[in-house]
Amino acid sequence: MMGIDRIVILILMVFSHVGSTLAQVYPPGKPTDQRILLLNGKAHIGNGDTINKSAIAIENGKITMVKNALLITIKEADYDTIIDIAGQHVYPGFIAPNSTVGLQEIGSVRATKDYRETGSLNPHVRSAIAFNTDSRVTATVKTNGVLIGQICPRGGRISGTSSILHFDGWNWEDALYREDDAIHINWPAMFSFDWKTRGRVPNKKYDVLKKELEDFFMESSVYAEKKWEESNRFYAEKSPTDLRFEAMKEVFTGGKSVCVHADFVKEIQDIIEFKKQFNIERMILVGGYDSYLVAENLKNNDIAVVLRRLHSLPMYQQEDVDLPYKLPKLLKDAGVKFCLNNAGDMEQMGLRNLPFYAGTAVAYGLSYEDAVASITSSAAEILGIDDVVGTLEEGKDATLIVSRGDALDMMTNKLSLAMVQGRFMILRNHQDDLYQKYMNKYGLTD
Amino acid sequence: MRVVLSILMCFVLFLNHAQDVNLYPTNGVKQQKDLYYAFTNATLHISGSLTTKGTLLIQNGKIVKVGAIVSLPKGTVKLDMKGKHIYPSFVDVYSNYGQPEIKQGKHDPRPQLETKKKGAFGWNEAVRPEYNTSDHFTANQKSAKELRNIGFGSVLTHRMDGIARGTAALVSLNEGKDRDLIIDPVASTHYSFTKGSSRQSYPSSLMGAIALLRQTFCDADYYSKNKNDLSLDLSLEAFQRNTSLPQIVEANDKFTILRADTIGDEFGHQFIFKGSGNEYQRAKEIKATGGAVIIPLDFPKPYDVSDAYAARLVTLAQMKHWELAPSNPKILAANNIDFAITTYGLQKKTDFFGNIRKAIARGLSEADALNALTSVPARMINAQDRVGGLGVGMLANFLVCSGELFEKNTVIYSNWVQGDEFVINPMDLVDIRGTYKLKIQENDRTLVVSGSLKKPKATIEYNVVSDSVSENGDLVLDEQTNKPIKVTRKKQVKSMLTLSDRKVSLTFKLSDEFYSLSGTVHSKSGIWEGLGTLPDGSWAKWAALKKKDHKEKESKNNTGIKPDTIGIGNITYPMMAYGWDTLPSLKQILIRDITIWTNEDSGILEKTDLLIRDGKIKMIGDILDVVDPETIVINGAGKHLTPGIIDEHSHIAISRGVNESGQASSAEVSIATVVNSDDINIYRQLSGGVTSSQLLHGSANPIGGQSAVIKLKWGWTPEQMKYSEMPKFIKFALGENVKQSNWGSYNTVRFPQTRMGVEQVYYDHFIRAREYEEEWDRYINRKSKKKNAPIVNPPRRDLELEALAQILNGERFITCHSYVQSEINMLMKVADSMGFKVNTFTHILEGYKVADKMKEHGAGGSSFSDWWAYKYEVRDAIPHNPSLLNRMGVVTAVNSDDAEMARRLNQEAAKGIKYGGMSQEDALKMVTLNPAKLLHIDDRVGSIKVGKDADVVVWSGNPLSVYSKVEQTIVDGYVLFDKNRDIALRKEIAAERARLISKMLKAKLGGEPTQKIVGKKGRIHNCNVLTDDGN
Repeated sequence: MMGIDRIVILILMVFSHVGSTLAQVYPPGKPTDQRILLLNGKAHIGNGDTINKSAIAIENGKITMVKNALLITIKEADYDTIIDIAGQHVYPGFIAPNSTVGLQEIGSVRATKDYRETGSLNPHVRSAIAFNTDSRVTATVKTNGVLIGQICPRGGRISGTSSILHFDGWNWEDALYREDDAIHINWPAMFSFDWKTRGRVPNKKYDVLKKELEDFFMESSVYAEKKWEESNRFYAEKSPTDLRFEAMKEVFTGGKSVCVHADFVKEIQDIIEFKKQFNIERMILVGGYDSYLVAENLKNNDIAVVLRRLHSLPMYQQEDVDLPYKLPKLLKDAGVKFCLNNAGDMEQMGLRNLPFYAGTAVAYGLSYEDAVASITSSAAEILGIDDVVGTLEEGKDATLIVSRGDALDMMTNKLSLAMVQGRFMILRNHQDDLYQKYMNKYGLTD
Repeated sequence: MRVVLSILMCFVLFLNHAQDVNLYPTNGVKQQKDLYYAFTNATLHISGSLTTKGTLLIQNGKIVKVGAIVSLPKGTVKLDMKGKHIYPSFVDVYSNYGQPEIKQGKHDPRPQLETKKKGAFGWNEAVRPEYNTSDHFTANQKSAKELRNIGFGSVLTHRMDGIARGTAALVSLNEGKDRDLIIDPVASTHYSFTKGSSRQSYPSSLMGAIALLRQTFCDADYYSKNKNDLSLDLSLEAFQRNTSLPQIVEANDKFTILRADTIGDEFGHQFIFKGSGNEYQRAKEIKATGGAVIIPLDFPKPYDVSDAYAARLVTLAQMKHWELAPSNPKILAANNIDFAITTYGLQKKTDFFGNIRKAIARGLSEADALNALTSVPARMINAQDRVGGLGVGMLANFLVCSGELFEKNTVIYSNWVQGDEFVINPMDLVDIRGTYKLKIQENDRTLVVSGSLKKPKATIEYNVVSDSVSENGDLVLDEQTNKPIKVTRKKQVKSMLTLSDRKVSLTFKLSDEFYSLSGTVHSKSGIWEGLGTLPDGSWAKWAALKKKDHKEKESKNNTGIKPDTIGIGNITYPMMAYGWDTLPSLKQILIRDITIWTNEDSGILEKTDLLIRDGKIKMIGDILDVVDPETIVINGAGKHLTPGIIDEHSHIAISRGVNESGQASSAEVSIATVVNSDDINIYRQLSGGVTSSQLLHGSANPIGGQSAVIKLKWGWTPEQMKYSEMPKFIKFALGENVKQSNWGSYNTVRFPQTRMGVEQVYYDHFIRAREYEEEWDRYINRKSKKKNAPIVNPPRRDLELEALAQILNGERFITCHSYVQSEINMLMKVADSMGFKVNTFTHILEGYKVADKMKEHGAGGSSFSDWWAYKYEVRDAIPHNPSLLNRMGVVTAVNSDDAEMARRLNQEAAKGIKYGGMSQEDALKMVTLNPAKLLHIDDRVGSIKVGKDADVVVWSGNPLSVYSKVEQTIVDGYVLFDKNRDIALRKEIAAERARLISKMLKAKLGGEPTQKIVGKKGRIHNCNVLTDDGN
């Protein structure tokens, strides 16, 4: 049986050039054909369950067993490597919906920004191919346990199509979890900023903007039907192709989710109507500050919420000081499916704090395992990747983390091991290297 | 010649309406107009409190005599004013009447560093004291009429443009030649804190405007003393001259009045303040300024809150202000503040009397209201001998009214201005109201005339005989005759009535047929008669005979204004959600059995008691029962107590701009001048345990502005929030912001544009500061104090260099926004060579690369916990920075620069444990003791030690845990956040909002015009925000 430290050393030895590649992004983990057992860690399954002393077996990138170690007999011979993680915590890899990590390196440097295309209706624009697997930013996110992201374009009325990728790949193609999972709509705002009064005033163009969106959906649904008919006829002359409409086709078959970004309650009500109007199978509300006010309606219409950044201020002066912190609890109590996200100011580099948002939600009423779910299984379900990730369950990808302490608390979040699809991830980033470089300069040791 | 001139001056100034017999040629025959006019038997309102029955005698536009018994000279036109009331016409001292329109300069995205104004004027376009309103005055009869109609006879007008606006003229609202209308061409001078049409980059903020005004006071004084040695500056010359006039400052907020008063005190002037209407919120402090206030009457309309969701955008502050604004005059009066009322800001001048009555309904006395419109404004500009009263020698500006001025039904007959009558309502208006018998041919009908004297309304009543019908529609039959019973019903028809002089016309429709009657009202008998057309087109005689006089509904009090003083909400401190009805009083607090993080050698003490008395930490240890029954006892079992959190880098609670970005150095500006205690983020941060903050200038320029170091005393005034003997700080900044790297391609003008330039900015300024200091030293130690020595004028006082010299002297400390090691090192070298120390590097994200040099220099670091990648210069930032700096012996803090993060700085500190393995106690010090040290307030706060300020936080658990919450935050011994009180407050806020929303809805249903919702989301500042957000 090998201790965790030895495993780490082993991994480091494989990449013995670490010391000389300062400030580079470390390579993704190497595939292994070993049979691995993670033993005695506290497993947070992701679906609400826990196993205090767990035995988690991994083979060929998949979880092959999750059991209570106290209730089974372990044959050492069944495994190539057994790692004792007693006293540590195992979680499914954390999932970040609605993120732009990998699409921007430096906020103020335009050349590094790849998330905002020009134009208003851009469903055809795809984020996946711009995702930079060598991003230094992503490298500092995954070392806190966030391993998967829904990478989204921004801007315009329809920003484009997102894809779901993991953060330990050589290339966007290898990193894909689900390609072209959703289109993203920035719902028109009912209140807009007015320079004259320096306040938010009713947006007079709201109805017009909403109509534009409805028209676009109507036209693209007709186009989709027409193309479907054409595809069923042999000789028919094919009508011209419109890339925007092409990108919309799967919206009407349920192949693509529709993520609608909005916060204000009446906008949300309109969005619910919009879902019915166009028979949208998979709709996700992103932001959803006011979702707790229409929770029942959201639940009845099967709309999940990717909740606005938890660490934010109340939108209205008179509101409960801690309202943003307790929104998860309010949605949970109301039975609305939700997960957390980090969109907003400096969202790429701040994504590494996603687990601590979940921790804060616990302080404000959410149960601990529900908080874990809000960045694992719930996110996976909402994004439609729960068949492969999101929980520590047999048959799913071994995309998981082990933390020496409670990973939702910044005091104790300290990864000792992380895997993406069964590959050991290097738990180091260029920031650790810079730290080490100057520790060495000053003759200090940890 | 000189005598003649001064006589002429007198003529122009004081007798301007007299016959300009000789000065100007006449086309035709000269008009003589020196007849006496006597207004006899009138009730004369000499002032708000003095009323007499008697006679007013005027001649040549001025009052000659006034009194109970006045002997009338021969040749007097006598006007009997029996039953009438005469008041002085109103005076408005805040107006731009007759001034040319102000044209905004063309927007240019490029910075404009220098003035574009031609001529021998000062350097800043917003300072325009040379502007003389009277030079540009030309009467505007449309506005004059509007103002005369609501009782005004004269206004003080000025050009409302710029920070120093020049002189104002007192002008009459008469018609005639402009030269005859100017009562006083130079009556006052005006200032403001908005730069108006100037497109010059400086100043870009409120604090910049304040600094510019202060510097101009210094410069004008210096200029006047050294004129012969200096080139001509018409602006400074005018500015200095104007300071002998009454000085009126436009202050668009209650706190700006206090800010302006501080400037007045500094330079020995008592300003008059033009307020914004929210003065009642801080009346006590405004009273203490000793200044008079000019207040507007533009009370806010109710918000249209019919959409409950959208109503959330309206803040409680907005709602409460809507309700309380009409009480402003009354509250100022109750606080003995001298105030004048202006119509400026009233969208519809016709709302004037309605709004005055609203104010009276709130308890303002009619005498105070009258004074606020007459004698008080006149006195403000030393014009009490000319306008605002009915005294001998004053201008014959007065109102003739039907009764007491502010009563609802009173009619102003005429407004006499400079002895010329302007009829507003004809005096011989006959009261035709009453009930008449209307005879047309043989038919009698009843005519009822009601409504107001000025606009009577008519109704025709007549009888209709018809069959009686039961409720279910059946005919009611006479039991005996079995025929339908006839009933007579009264019907009413509205009629169109016009009355002009004594000609009356009446049109109405009966059974779909029109009658149109015209005739005359006989003055004595009150009979109406004339001819009219009948529906068939024929003409017929008609008459109306009065049967009953009209009776006014009697009102309960004599003002006729229904008091509106019940059910009005409180003023709270601050006046917004979570404010206090009354500030808490200082009590003894005993916290028992709590885990205390002392930040002292004693470390963490478990199960310990803490006693707070008189706002200080009194005792730590096992404390027996305290006698004082008022003591607040907190059971701390299972809880933790830490020193209050101190945010070294904050931008909350600041009015109108955190950056003065107009120049590369703005050392003269100070955040301390623009602290805003009405910021919800103060309360929100208390809920996160923050008790002290350094409010910093932004990072737009290498030398920024001075800081304010405050306690988060929620409910107290800006002045009370500041630390007593506040340590002096100034913000410096390096790197991308100051070289304007990310400001777009237009901002490539201002020096510096590179890090190389930044160094030179520092050297240039520090060397100049040293020379400045030497110049002053020479002056102070000059030998010329001996007798007969020539007088030496003091050097120019330069607010910018003064602040920089304080740095050189170690009296002022630098907090420097910094990222990259090269520039950090550079500033330390500049400091070393100039002989001072850089106190703090803030952000300091590459501090870890030069930690040894920082330690050697003695600089502290105040870092972000884990920010990076937002700019090119932070690509090497690492979250281990605080830990490494700390280990290297640099005094290290973790700061927010963010209103949201500040309320969970404990979590940010805890990241030091994760990144770099800091101990828990050290981590807590990052947000408590260490920032206290950096801010030089560690003698008062930062640790739990007997004698220190009682700034403490009670946590539900380990303060560094993500799961812990603040239960109480205590500042100076006051419990300013308490989790239970917070929950109670939420309910109170909801109830108060519900009350106000239903009141607004009621107003809307009652037909009151509403205003659209404007959601004011508090602007959240960080270093980079450049605009003056107008709050």
